[in-house]
Amino acid sequence: MIDEMSNRAASIGHVLRCAVVAGLLAAGLSAGEVTYEQLLDPPPENWLTYGRTYDSQRHSPLDQITKENISQLAPAWIFPMPGARRLESVPIVVDGVMYVSQPNEVYALDARAGRQIWKWRREPARQRGNNRGVAVLGNLVYVSTPDAHLVALDARTGSMVWESEIASSEDGYWSPAAPFAIDGRIIAGNAAGDYGLNGWLDAFDATTGERLWRFYTIPRPGEPGNETWAGDSWKTGGGATWLSGSFDPELNLLYWGIGNPAPDFDGEPRRGDNLYTESVVALDADSGKLKWHFQFTPHDLHDWDSVEIPILVDAPYKGRLRKLLVHADRNGFYYVLDRETGEFLEGVPFIDKLNWASGLTETGRPIRVPGVEPTLQGNFVCPSTSGATNWMSPAYNPATNWFYLAVKEGCGVSYKSKQEFRPGGFSYAATGYIESPRFPWQMFVRALDLTTGERKWEYKQVNSRHYGAGLVSTATGLIFAGDDQGFFTALDAKTGEPLWHFNTGTRISASPISYAVKGRQYLAVCSGVNVVTFALPAGLEAD
Amino acid sequence: MTWCRRGLGILVGVVLYLGLPGHAWGAENPLGSGAEVIAEGHELFNKLCTVCHGVDGAPGDRGPAMAAQRRYLRQTDTELFQAIQEGIPDSEMPPMGLPEDDAWRIVAWIRSLRAKAIDVPVDGDIQQGSNIFWGKGECGRCHVIRGRGGLLGPDLTNLGAQMSLKRIQEALTVEKPHPPLGYRPVTVTTQGGRTISGVSKNEHNFSLQMIGDDDRLYLLSSEEIDKIVYGEKSLMPTDYDRRLSEAEFRDLLAFLSRLSLRRREGSSVEPNQAP
Repeated sequence: MIDEMSNRAASIGHVLRCAVVAGLLAAGLSAGEVTYEQLLDPPPENWLTYGRTYDSQRHSPLDQITKENISQLAPAWIFPMPGARRLESVPIVVDGVMYVSQPNEVYALDARAGRQIWKWRREPARQRGNNRGVAVLGNLVYVSTPDAHLVALDARTGSMVWESEIASSEDGYWSPAAPFAIDGRIIAGNAAGDYGLNGWLDAFDATTGERLWRFYTIPRPGEPGNETWAGDSWKTGGGATWLSGSFDPELNLLYWGIGNPAPDFDGEPRRGDNLYTESVVALDADSGKLKWHFQFTPHDLHDWDSVEIPILVDAPYKGRLRKLLVHADRNGFYYVLDRETGEFLEGVPFIDKLNWASGLTETGRPIRVPGVEPTLQGNFVCPSTSGATNWMSPAYNPATNWFYLAVKEGCGVSYKSKQEFRPGGFSYAATGYIESPRFPWQMFVRALDLTTGERKWEYKQVNSRHYGAGLVSTATGLIFAGDDQGFFTALDAKTGEPLWHFNTGTRISASPISYAVKGRQYLAVCSGVNVVTFALPAGLEAD
Repeated sequence: MTWCRRGLGILVGVVLYLGLPGHAWGAENPLGSGAEVIAEGHELFNKLCTVCHGVDGAPGDRGPAMAAQRRYLRQTDTELFQAIQEGIPDSEMPPMGLPEDDAWRIVAWIRSLRAKAIDVPVDGDIQQGSNIFWGKGECGRCHVIRGRGGLLGPDLTNLGAQMSLKRIQEALTVEKPHPPLGYRPVTVTTQGGRTISGVSKNEHNFSLQMIGDDDRLYLLSSEEIDKIVYGEKSLMPTDYDRRLSEAEFRDLLAFLSRLSLRRREGSSVEPNQAP
């Protein structure tokens, strides 16, 4: 099955390869072209990757919007995306052009005016899952699709340059994550873990679409880790790669969070730790070979995908400068790892209601509390399956040295049943969960000390019970957050005090960005079906 | 415990009264949806199905509840009949292969558990129930029916078409852990020193919309508010099984079950017009 797929991917790439190369040569270099050097050190005005920088810190160096003038921040433009449902896309901005996506569609907009430059739509369009954004490199814009293809578009016109198959949509796969561009390569993942379809991470040649390597998230027989799956359960183990990752160019390592094992709620058929589900993996960017892994939730029973974006920071830890990877997991723990080795350094809960583990061992393994496993009649567990945090990105501010994140407090009741795997893309969750009537969900923004996880402040998003936006930090000590009520809010990074807010009117489920065009700083966030941007009134930016 | 027995008695009473022909939920059932059929189905279920499912349709050790707050994949008479007789593939539900009439009896009982209150005949005195609603029960202080009544609680004009009899009964007798959204009790002290109590219709960090005890609407911004104190418990009393006699409670339940904007399935009686 897998070999057949790789052939198919290669052939599609091959058909379009010559045209691509010819096209690029003809086009020559133009304004708006993104080099790898720029990705390594993005100009302050541009937002070039999902997390702005390869370390995914989501910290903008722009300093025009301050605590002093933020009361005057106002909407600049709104772009309603035709046919959209709930957008989760993180816009990319290159030299005044914004690229923003929804499933099967990419738009290029004038980032000052909110006017459409071009639109690409995949036809025929298969609908499955969400889309979280694009990647840019050279003259191309990359997007993954609901039929699990990676598509490269000409950044100037939106015309398709090549496409390659990531996984077979006939088998039930789709691809919601923003692709990730590194030097000459585009990294793309896939989703269908809840269907019992095994995940992987692919690297494609950025110019030709040829597949360069593949990392299987579920080890096959003979590979280390396969022994963590009872019997043949590895064949339907899940482990999706449905969110983006991070990259350390010096170590040449990619860091990716891996999704849940399947069947999600019934662990009986898959006894063992179920590697590399619920783990972060460090992969050599040239070969895709595993350098190390760390598993947050061995043998997960609650669908706590560990895909949450890892943030990379070089910071002192116990007196020594360390290359750290920090990660707030859906299971409710905040982890500090050494990103050269994967060594576990710290782990503490970032939620108050956590009942499934009494703590972590010296190596970071959870100390399980019995009685929270899913049952036919339901068991009470905190956090719920929807998790203590999720796809919304956290942020890091180097000035405070604090980690900021969206948090959901609350519990669930988890159920299980017996279910047989069915090929072709059908749920293999073996039942599900509900919100606990006793502990309804409540959203917060919290600030944690980077290396200890100590809570510095929290901002309660009153009446918000469902996931809202991720965060962006700015050099002026602001944290921008959103919520399911539609409020886009600026918080003081030091205190968590709300300094400004705007009611966008629709639920915000995406992470915001900040960019600048011709000296004017903007904030942008997808809210409901709209891309909404904010700036200071024209003229004020000179103050 | 007392209430459990009484509640069961009322439910049994309701079930025994069932029997009018032509309910949509019994239309495919060759035995209909008569009281006797349902009672027999109930007995058969408890005898044959409780190895996996719970007694009286509660959740069991290996099978789900027969009526719960979830979406059921098998809803019609025929779908339920097939599930009983042929089992459910890829699940632990085996084919029961019962005599057909017995399977239909069980179907009739399961459907009766899931029906909306308006579609289930009840044996209380509806007029007496109305008197209790507006009088002794003081329900009308907070609830409105066709424009009459108080504004703090939900509008009950269409209650019987929205809830099952069991859920209405639970609303009157079982305390919820949290007040529902839009009905959270709140007391606000304004910057001017005024105190307003009522229920919060909506709230966020920057504003609060509430209905006061005086049935007036208050729109407050965070700058106008000095202090907000939320009540943790709903204003809805849940002791009606104790504050009313057994007969009064049955009458009230009958009245509430008839509140509907649509006619009962198979009935020529117009929906409740007089609040």
